[in-house]
Amino acid sequence: MITLPMYLTVAAALFTIGVLGIFVNRKNIIVILMSIELILLAVNINLVAFSVYLHDVVGQIFALFVLTVAAAEAAVGLAILVTFFRNRGDIAVDDANLMKG
Amino acid sequence: MNAFLLQYLPIVIFLGIALVIGVAFLVAAAVIAPKAPDPEKLSAYECGFNAFDDARMKFDVRFYLVSILFIVFDLEVALLFPWAVTLTKLPHGDQVVAFATGVLFLADVTLGYIYVWKRGALEWE
Amino acid sequence: MSLQAVAFYLMALVSVVSALLVVSAKNPVHSVLYLITVFFSAAGLFVLMGAEFLAMLLVVVYVGAVAVLFLFVVMMLDVDFVALRQGFARYLPIGGAIGVILLVEMVLVATAVAEHGAAAKYAAPLAAGEISNTEAIGRVLYTDYLYLFEAAGLVLLVAMIGALVLTLRHRPGVKRQNIAAQVGRTPAKGMEIVQIKDGAGIPE
Repeated sequence: MITLPMYLTVAAALFTIGVLGIFVNRKNIIVILMSIELILLAVNINLVAFSVYLHDVVGQIFALFVLTVAAAEAAVGLAILVTFFRNRGDIAVDDANLMKG
Repeated sequence: MNAFLLQYLPIVIFLGIALVIGVAFLVAAAVIAPKAPDPEKLSAYECGFNAFDDARMKFDVRFYLVSILFIVFDLEVALLFPWAVTLTKLPHGDQVVAFATGVLFLADVTLGYIYVWKRGALEWE
Repeated sequence: MSLQAVAFYLMALVSVVSALLVVSAKNPVHSVLYLITVFFSAAGLFVLMGAEFLAMLLVVVYVGAVAVLFLFVVMMLDVDFVALRQGFARYLPIGGAIGVILLVEMVLVATAVAEHGAAAKYAAPLAAGEISNTEAIGRVLYTDYLYLFEAAGLVLLVAMIGALVLTLRHRPGVKRQNIAAQVGRTPAKGMEIVQIKDGAGIPE
């Protein structure tokens, strides 16, 4: 029998790994974006698990919107990354604090 | 084992067969194939020259644009799937609202499509 | 152990291990491929829970589109990825410590909520009823949550326009085909018949 805490544990592990990925790959913004995708996936697993175990479909609707926003975020984030790379020839995010194009 | 998950049994069987065949070919190649490695045979071959640079070429940014537009329209279609399934089954008042909602959503994305077309992002120079 | 439990443990293990490999792989291309594995096994978990629609959406949108987008970007930028890994070992202890604390806290909270919260009333997940998961979502999505649905449409519109504005550059001096002008061209517009006197040449 698979219980709710088991799904929540998987989601917690994925969330933690996403946070860890942001910590250890501080220079590589592509991996940071992937870590954010992992975090949002963990959120989705939580939402769906609660939705299923609470017998309420609204959680899945919210997961649907999180999915939409995550995909849009990845698209725009990578577009910003491409523009940044064009301007600087590098993707080291340490230099991104200069605020001058 | 409930009936719902049993619907997915063919997919599991398919994955199992695919895994077995894939691993079998890898193992067979590792066991049966003759092996006589040599640095020259393993190096990259480029018309008799040594390789000039990395094999990974830079992609054009247009591939990225096409794939971004693909994501947006992919999501649009995905959000309309439940619309297609439920629209005829809703009670009448809800049906009108749901239809209008879907049409407005489509109008949104069509607006974006017109913008993309007018900017010339769909053309390959 | 039932077959369901075996499937759950397999997919949970695959997703967590692949997620670890996403953040620790040396080559970002490998990271993207591990990300695809994570999404696939998460889709499997969704199916196990009965959320079919979201599982298929995860495969179609994430594996089919977002992962490809990441792959394009990784291959589009030729960056020295070895240099970007500097500091990996330096931040690993503190990142790991924070991660472990976060994990323990979240598992404790999750267990407490699942056992004593609102979800404790229902022991078993919802069995598949007479209506499918997609239909159940559609019944609520287009009636009660229509404003959110429209907002999602606007988010997509803004993402499309934003990405285009940020990345589209027209190279100057590239000749383009203007199909309307090409099709609309007639002999009357395209050619001119000039009467020339003997020995006078063609006047410019």
